[in-house]
Amino acid sequence: MNNPAITVLLVEDNDMIRECITAYLEDEGFTVHSYVTAEQALERIVAINPVVCISDMRLPGMDGESFILKAHTLCPVTSFLLHTGILYTLSDELRDIGMTDGDVLLKPIHDLSKLVKRITHISVTGRG
Amino acid sequence: MPPKAEMFFKSESRYRMLVENSSDIIFSLDFEGYFDYVSPAWKNILGHEPSEVIGHNFREFVNPDDIPRCEDIFMAVIRTNSMQEMTYRIHHGDGSWRRHTSRVNRHRDENGVQTIFGTAHDVTERLRFEELMTQSEKMTMISGMAAGMAHEINNPLGAILQHAQNIERRVSANIPANVQAAAEVGVSLDLVHAYMEKRGIFDFIAHIRSAGIKASDIITNMLQFSRRSDAGAEPVDLSTFVDKVLELAGTDYDMKKKYNFHRIELQRHYVADLPPVLLSVTGMEQVLLNILNNAAQALAGSDLPHQPRISVRTRVAAGMAVIEIEDNGPGMDKKTAQRIFEPFFTTKEIGVGTGLGLSVAYEIVTKGHHGLIDVSSQPGMGCCFTVKLPLQGVA
Ligand SMILES: Nc1ncnc2c1ncn2[C@@H]1O[C@H](COP(=O)(O)OP(=O)(O)O)[C@@H](O)[C@H]1O
Repeated sequence: MNNPAITVLLVEDNDMIRECITAYLEDEGFTVHSYVTAEQALERIVAINPVVCISDMRLPGMDGESFILKAHTLCPVTSFLLHTGILYTLSDELRDIGMTDGDVLLKPIHDLSKLVKRITHISVTGRG
Repeated sequence: MPPKAEMFFKSESRYRMLVENSSDIIFSLDFEGYFDYVSPAWKNILGHEPSEVIGHNFREFVNPDDIPRCEDIFMAVIRTNSMQEMTYRIHHGDGSWRRHTSRVNRHRDENGVQTIFGTAHDVTERLRFEELMTQSEKMTMISGMAAGMAHEINNPLGAILQHAQNIERRVSANIPANVQAAAEVGVSLDLVHAYMEKRGIFDFIAHIRSAGIKASDIITNMLQFSRRSDAGAEPVDLSTFVDKVLELAGTDYDMKKKYNFHRIELQRHYVADLPPVLLSVTGMEQVLLNILNNAAQALAGSDLPHQPRISVRTRVAAGMAVIEIEDNGPGMDKKTAQRIFEPFFTTKEIGVGTGLGLSVAYEIVTKGHHGLIDVSSQPGMGCCFTVKLPLQGVA
């Protein structure tokens, strides 16, 4: 439960979802920065340089996939997770930057402890 | 009238030839409903010799449920002297019911004898096709709805599930922020915990979560409709695969707790040297699980005088791999059997059945695998589901 060194960036336009994921991750000790749109997150992501970035797929403005591709060029060591409501197969572009099927989180997440496990796993093993 | 036509209408033999060669049935009934003429086409279409029909009442042939409707039409014809159309089920010599459409009218001959005169043809196949079409239109409509609904519902569901989890977490003494906040307001977290335990609040939270998960599973099921690709199909050894699904079924919570899956006797008959079958593992897993789930539920839900049993068989027939799942439960009547693959058709109580399981199975088997799925059942005689998957195309 001591994860303060692990910084997580969350992009989610649904207020309730953003709040509950943030609350859970903060309880677990992570440092969480959350944004409503991809555009806002892109302005801050370099300064934050998160270990893990979780993005919703459907966002107002830029969508989650474009956001991740752009954010990856800014923060190449950050690992990305995509949060989506539809059965989704990763695009080749996202696979090219190292994402795998396990990085797609299907809404609704039944158990947030699984998300925590994934984040800690990434932060321990790193990915590239 | 031109002379040629005049001659034609005067020749009774020509008339007779027309009537007797018609591919439609031509018939005539007296006002009591007794046939005084049926054309030879009756034999081709319905199997009886005209001599077995003439002198008999139409009520001996038409389905009892449809007789009142036919009577109404005859009455209307007699009263209004106008042509009417009607569709009804009629007995075939082979014992089956066929659906016919008839045009009937009233006729008075030179001698003043009045009859009801009509033509009839078989529309069974056409109606069946139309029904299949409405079925497939329903499916298409649902697949469109499912994707939209998933989006709208998944976020609120996520909030319900995850906030419930947050509530649990926020009274845990393992989280330093909780301990600190409790100290600030002057309560002991242990006591808060004990109170919540005593008043069953943790159970309530657990129920919120399990209800949320159930709702989410329904959405996932509905989403199967919009996922039509057979991407991810791989050659699979059917016996190993079926064994794996049976094992999965045994570990499923509902199957274990609610339907006592372990008390059901499982029989397996796998044909040896079955060639590999090309299938989407997750899709076909769901098909078999849905069928097994229904079987277990049917077996658990009725008092059976015998040991509950599910038999699973694999074999090859006519170039297809066949999986049969048979139970010795209560079975179902014909009316139910005709509808079980329809989306939202269920005989179970609200909250127990969604009526989606078998329609999803139907979609996955037919669209995803170009296969066939069918049921045979009779009340009290158990139920057997057959899934057939094409074998060709496998390396
Ligand atoms: N093994 C079985 N024995 C008896 N009835 C069955 C069996 N399997 C399915 N049914 C019938 O088919 C209906 C539709 O099944 P399904 O589409 O899976 O929906 P649900 O199980 O939610 O009702 C059930 O409500 C039940 O009446």
